[in-house]
Amino acid sequence: MTYDYHEPESVPEALDLLARYGEDAHLVAGATAFTLLWRQGLLRPGHVIGLRRIAALGGITSSDGGLVIGATVTHRAIERSAEVARYCPALTRTFASVATVRVRNQATLGGNLAHADPAQDPPPMLIALGAEVVAVSQAGERAIPVEELFVDVFTTSLRPGEIIAAVRFPALTAGTRATYLKFLPQTADDYATVSVAAALRLANDGTVADVRVALGAAGPTPRRARSVEDALRGARPDEKGIADAAARVEGDIEPFDDVRGSAAYKREMARLWTVRAFTSLVAAP
Amino acid sequence: MKLTHTALVRAPRAKVWRLVTDVPAAARCVPGVAAVTPSGAGKYKGSLLVQLGPVRLVLDGDIALTSTDEAAGKASLRADAKDSRLGGTVRATMDLALTDKGEDTELRITSDVQIAGRIGEFGQPVIQRKADQLMTQFAECLARTLA
Repeated sequence: MTYDYHEPESVPEALDLLARYGEDAHLVAGATAFTLLWRQGLLRPGHVIGLRRIAALGGITSSDGGLVIGATVTHRAIERSAEVARYCPALTRTFASVATVRVRNQATLGGNLAHADPAQDPPPMLIALGAEVVAVSQAGERAIPVEELFVDVFTTSLRPGEIIAAVRFPALTAGTRATYLKFLPQTADDYATVSVAAALRLANDGTVADVRVALGAAGPTPRRARSVEDALRGARPDEKGIADAAARVEGDIEPFDDVRGSAAYKREMARLWTVRAFTSLVAAP
Repeated sequence: MKLTHTALVRAPRAKVWRLVTDVPAAARCVPGVAAVTPSGAGKYKGSLLVQLGPVRLVLDGDIALTSTDEAAGKASLRADAKDSRLGGTVRATMDLALTDKGEDTELRITSDVQIAGRIGEFGQPVIQRKADQLMTQFAECLARTLA
């Protein structure tokens, strides 16, 4: 049970390896997800391609009010980045809430997205902020909105031969507030039972000007809750406005029964935590 | 793990019956199935490729029609398969029941699936979801084939 380990130092070199070994190759950066699947015996690739030595896939840069985070940046580096905190403190808190510090020191942004586990923390926040994945291949580069990256449990819309290079975050309109809430009834380092990420901007008259909300662990993929957004946009986010909008979340999610609760329980928790997310955003100074 | 799937096939019962009890022909409707060949006495050999994210299972095994009752519209199948690369086995008994619904036929498949070894690491919700997808595509393909 061995594999050949490759450590390319440039993106073209990595793409060549991927083209050469095709389905027998597996990409890793922090390798946290890969190590678990490999130890469980579920993955047996002949070739593993480590991406962490490729400088072009690292780094955090601000530009025009937006942000670009390289695929091989660790969760911990994002959590500690001054650029990220300036851009959106809720993004910092989202990465700080992932698993334990040992995992965050190793796991990377690109690996998190490629693994496509629906209970992970960053994807709902990335969707709420309108971020997009930059994927590179020998055919060039394309941008994929984060909400379109995930197609099923552990399954992405990445094409064979593509590598996640970075995530681009758009400039946020002044006055945008964001939050990430994670329902953890068992332990602090558990996966969420459900999680809610929301971004909100109020107009001068107190009605909702812009809103995006996404849920984690509430279906086979992280889900953008468009029905909730549609109900809130233009509405007054008072107690009733928020309750009415959050009641629609059921139509946006597809939770399933597992050790963290039944589908019916998760639907109810999704509604409740959506209420809490918006209540806290409206109350924020 | 017990699973039940129901699908409406837009074809008369007799036609649906002929297709679902013709194992190689019905197997062509299961996405990921490679050639199914007879191995004697109502038994067949075949393989099923299942992709779960980065994990590829290749289930090689036998499938047999264990009972048929055309008048009642009922048939049973038994499948034994293993993935020799990852290690793991899948055993399933499937009871098929066909019911007339006007000009259409309702196909109900009740499966009892036992999964052993590493394949079980995925957990029931993920396996059930994959089984649901396979069965939905199977029923759609039957309907297309008979159209």
